[in-house]
Amino acid sequence: MIKKDLSVDFLGVHFENPFLLSSSPVGNCYEMCAKAFDEGWAGVAFKTIGPKHFKVDEVSPRFDELTKEGTPFVGFKNMEQIAEHPLEQNLHDLKKLKENYPTKIIIASIMGTNEQDWEELAQLVTEAKADMIEMNLSCPQMTSHDMGSDVGTNPELVKKYCAAVRRGSDLPILAKMTPNITDMVPAAKASMDGGADGIATINTVKSIANLDIDRKTALPTVDGKGSVSGFSGKAVKPIALRFIQQLREAAGMEQLPISGIGGIETWQDAAEFLLLGATTLQVTTSVMQYGYRIVEDMKNGLMHYMEEQGIDHLSEIIGAANKSIVPVDSLNRDYKVYPKIDWDKCIGCGRCYISCFDGAHQAIQWNEEARRPTVDIDKCVGCHLCNLVCPVGAISTGEVVMKPGREGNPEDIKIESPRLTHF
Amino acid sequence: MTKKYETEAPGYTMTTVMEEAARCLLCHDAPCSKACPADTDPARFIRSVRFNNVKGAAETIRENNALGAICARVCPTEKYCELACSRTGIDCPIDIGGIQRYVTDFEQAAKMDILKQGKSNGKHIAIVGSGPAGLQVATTMLTKGYAVDIYEKNEKAGGYLTYGIPEYRLPNDIVEYEIKRIINLGANIHYNTTVGDDIMMDDLKANNDAVVVAVGASESKVLPMFANNENVETAVGFLARVKEAKGNITDLPENAVVIGGGDVAMDVATTLRRLDVKNVTDMAYEEFDEFKASKKELKGTREAGVTIVDGYVPTAVNGNEVTFKHRHIDSEMTIKSNKIILAVGQRVNAANLNITIDKHEEVPYAGYGTADPKVFVTGDIAQGDKTVVWAVRKGKEVAEQIDKMIMDKDKEADLVGGNE
Ligand SMILES: Cc1cc2nc3c(=O)[nH]c(=O)nc-3n(C[C@H](O)[C@H](O)[C@H](O)COP(=O)(O)OP(=O)(O)OC[C@H]3O[C@@H](n4cnc5c(N)ncnc54)[C@H](O)[C@@H]3O)c2cc1C
Ligand SMILES: Cc1cc2nc3c(=O)[nH]c(=O)nc-3n(C[C@H](O)[C@H](O)[C@H](O)COP(=O)(O)O)c2cc1C
Ligand code: SF4
Ligand code: SF4
Ligand code: SF4
Repeated sequence: MIKKDLSVDFLGVHFENPFLLSSSPVGNCYEMCAKAFDEGWAGVAFKTIGPKHFKVDEVSPRFDELTKEGTPFVGFKNMEQIAEHPLEQNLHDLKKLKENYPTKIIIASIMGTNEQDWEELAQLVTEAKADMIEMNLSCPQMTSHDMGSDVGTNPELVKKYCAAVRRGSDLPILAKMTPNITDMVPAAKASMDGGADGIATINTVKSIANLDIDRKTALPTVDGKGSVSGFSGKAVKPIALRFIQQLREAAGMEQLPISGIGGIETWQDAAEFLLLGATTLQVTTSVMQYGYRIVEDMKNGLMHYMEEQGIDHLSEIIGAANKSIVPVDSLNRDYKVYPKIDWDKCIGCGRCYISCFDGAHQAIQWNEEARRPTVDIDKCVGCHLCNLVCPVGAISTGEVVMKPGREGNPEDIKIESPRLTHF
Repeated sequence: MTKKYETEAPGYTMTTVMEEAARCLLCHDAPCSKACPADTDPARFIRSVRFNNVKGAAETIRENNALGAICARVCPTEKYCELACSRTGIDCPIDIGGIQRYVTDFEQAAKMDILKQGKSNGKHIAIVGSGPAGLQVATTMLTKGYAVDIYEKNEKAGGYLTYGIPEYRLPNDIVEYEIKRIINLGANIHYNTTVGDDIMMDDLKANNDAVVVAVGASESKVLPMFANNENVETAVGFLARVKEAKGNITDLPENAVVIGGGDVAMDVATTLRRLDVKNVTDMAYEEFDEFKASKKELKGTREAGVTIVDGYVPTAVNGNEVTFKHRHIDSEMTIKSNKIILAVGQRVNAANLNITIDKHEEVPYAGYGTADPKVFVTGDIAQGDKTVVWAVRKGKEVAEQIDKMIMDKDKEADLVGGNE
C-alpha cells in the first residue's frame, strides 16, 4: 500500500492529514470521535456547543434527501440545530478526547447569543484543552435570530463576536461562514478584523428539497408543516468551491487560511478543495451516508494523486488552482474545439443527436440506416453537450480551430486533460 | 479461424464499472468478503471503486491475492463471493468478478507495481510446481524476504492456468503478466525440471529451509476401456495442445464426443465448438439436477451449441464407436466419432516425492504438513476445494505456516545460543 505524508500545518497546528469531521452529529460524543480517529480521521470539529440558557429542542423526523434517477443522497436536507448533550458532558468529552488522542486535533465548535456567551464558551473550551475554536456563525435553522446564519450575514455582529471569542481564548479561531449570502468576503473580512485566524466554509445552504405533495408542505413533514432549512452533500460542492475561490481572489486574502467544507466524499473532491486553497477538509453528509470508513479511500487516493503529481507535501498544491480561475471576461474566446466521435465505441443510441438538436445547435446529423451520428462542422459551435450526454464516452474533444479572423496556433491551446477520458 | 477461441468477453468501462459498483450496498461486515476463499476482500475493493480510488482497489486485490487478475476471470463466483452477496435480496448479486477484472486491467494499464520484495532474511525455500498454488507461495515468501526457487516440469510456468483453462476465458497474456510480476519480485523458476527425476527431493531439502510440493493433479484419468485407442484424447492433453497452438489445430473432425460433466468437460466441448467443430456431444455421468460444472460454464457451453446428454455412462467401445447406457432408465445410445475426448477427472503424479496421495487425489489428512517436518504440500493435492482461488488461499496459508516455523526455530536457536 502506498505511503505518503499527508500532514498539513494549519493555523500553527499540525494535522496528520487534512481530513476532519465537520461539526454535526458525526462528531457528537466521545465514542463517535474515538471510532473516527481509530479509522484514520485527523481530527474533529465537535458538534456545536451552545450556552446553557439556550435550550435545544429538535423536531422529528429531521432529514430529507434529494435523489436523481437511482442515486440517493445527491443532496441532504436537515433541520438540526446545535448539540443536544449538556454543556458539562460536551466539555468532558472534549477533554477526554484530547487526553486519549493527544495527536488528533480537537476543534471546539461554539455558538452564543451575545458577546458574553461567546466569551464564556471560548474560555470553557480552552480550559477543556481543545486545540482550536470554530465559531458557528452559520447554522440556517436556529430557533433564535440571535444565532446562526442571521448573525453570519451581518458583518458588524460577526466582528463583535469574533472579538469576544478572542478575549476569551488564545487558541486559533476559525469563523464558520454561511453560504446564504451573495458575497462572503465582507463577513470573512469582518471576522478576521475581529480576531479570527481563518475561515471554515460552507455551512448548509437554505433549501426546500422536496414537497409532500399530498399534505402540501415541505419535507420532512413535522405535524403537517415543513420549513426552509440547510442543504448539504454532493449537490452543494459547487457552491462551496465557488465561495472558497472567491475568498482567495479577494484583495489581501490570497493566503487566507481555509478549512473547506461541502459535499466532500472522494479523494478527488478533497483534491479540488485543496487546489482552491483549503488546507484542512471537513465532512459530514457522506459520513452520515456511508460511515467513517470513507476516509480510507480519501487518504489512499490522495496519496496516489500526490505520487502522480510528483509531490511530497500537500502544501505544494494548496491554492494551486486559484490563479488559473479567472473572470469569464478574460477567457480565450478565439477558438472552438469540435467533438470527435469514435464510431467503434458508439452504440447508436442517438442521445447526442437529441441533445444537440433540442438543446444546442442542430449540428449532429443522424444516419437512420447506420444509426450513427456525424458532426456538421458548419453548425457545430463546440459546446460539447454531446460529449456530456454520450453514455459510452464515444465523444471526446477533437480538432481545435481558430475562429475566422482570430490569431493563434490551435496546437498551443490547452484542452481538457486525459484524466477525464482515459480507461 | 481461431478468433472465437481467442477472444475474451469484453470487460467494463469506466462508466459501466461505476454503474455496477453503484449497485453494491456497501454492507457492514460484508458477506462477500467473508465468502472469498482467498480473502481478496471484494467489499473493500468495490468500495474503493465506488469512491473513485481504482488504484487503491488494485492495492487491496494485489496485496491479498497474487493472482487477482486470474481469479477475476476464472473464479466460480456463484459458489463463493457472489453466493453470499446481500444484493441478492433485491435482485441479483454484484458482478464481483467483473469489477475485479476491471481493477486488475487498470492496474496493468497504469503499470502499477504494488508488491515489493522483502528485505532478505537469508532463508531459502524451494517450491515444486509453478501452478497457482506454487505462485502464491512464492509471492508471499518473496514479500517476506525469502529467496525462492521454483522447479517446474514443463517448459512454461502456470500449471493449469497455462496448460488448461482455455484462452477465451483466460487469455494467456494475462497469465504471462501475472507470472512476470512474480518473476520481477525475485522468483527463480527452473523450467523443464521434474523433481523426483531431474532433481531429487533430498537435494532440495539439503539446500533449502523448507520445500513446498504443489504438483497439482496434472495428469488425466483414463477409463480402462479407452486405453490405447487412437480416437481417444484426454481433456487436459487436448486443452494444453489447443492453448499452446493458440487455437491453430487442424486435425479436428466434423463431430466430436466429450465424456464428462464437470467444468473441464465444458471447457473441452466449448473449445471444440469455438474451433468450428460442427457437432459436439457431451455425455455426462451426472444428471442436470446434480451437475458438477458451474452454472456459468454450463450456460456458456449450451450457448456455444453443444448437445449435452445427462445421466449416461459409457459401457462399450469399439474403435470410434462408443455405447452409453443411462444410469437409471432403460436407454442406450451409440455414437460414432473419430474424436473422443475424456474429461473424467485428473490425477496426481507424485512419483519419488515421498508424499502419500489417496483416492481423492489429495493427501489423506487436513493441513499442509507431511511426515517430514521440512516438507509441505499445498494446492490441489492439499484438502479443500480444487479451484484457483483455493490454491491461492492454500498458498497463503502454507506460506504463513512455514514462515512461522522458520522464525520460531530461529528464535529458539537464539535463546539456546544466549544461554551458552
Ligand atoms: C481444464 C481446467 C479448467 C479449470 N477451470 C477452472 C476454473 O475456471 N476456475 C478455477 O478456479 N479452477 C479451475 N480449474 C482448477 C484449477 O486449475 C486448479 O485447481 C489449480 O490449477 C490447482 O493449482 P495447483 O497449483 O495446485 O496445481 P496445477 O495448476 O496443476 O500446477 C501444478 C504444477 O506442478 C507441475 N509439476 C507436477 N509435477 C511436478 C514435478 N514432479 N516436478 C516439477 N513440477 C511438477 C506441473 O507441471 C504444474 O505446472 C480448472 C482445471 C482444469 C484442468
Ligand atoms: C445533520 C446536520 C447537522 C449539522 N450540525 C451542525 C452544527 O451543529 N454545527 C455546524 O457548524 N455545522 C453543522 N452542520 C453543517 C456541517 O458541519 C457542514 O458544514 C455541512 O453539512 C456541509 O458539509 P457536508 O456536505 O460534508 O455535509 C450540520 C449538518 C448536518 C447535515
Ligand atoms: S450518444 Fe454516444 S453512443 Fe449514442 S449515438 Fe451519440 S456517439 Fe453514439
Ligand atoms: S478472488 Fe474470486 S472469490 Fe474472491 S472475490 Fe475475487 S472473484 Fe470472488
Ligand atoms: S455482499 Fe454484495 S452488496 Fe454487500 S458489500 Fe459485498 S458485493 Fe456489495
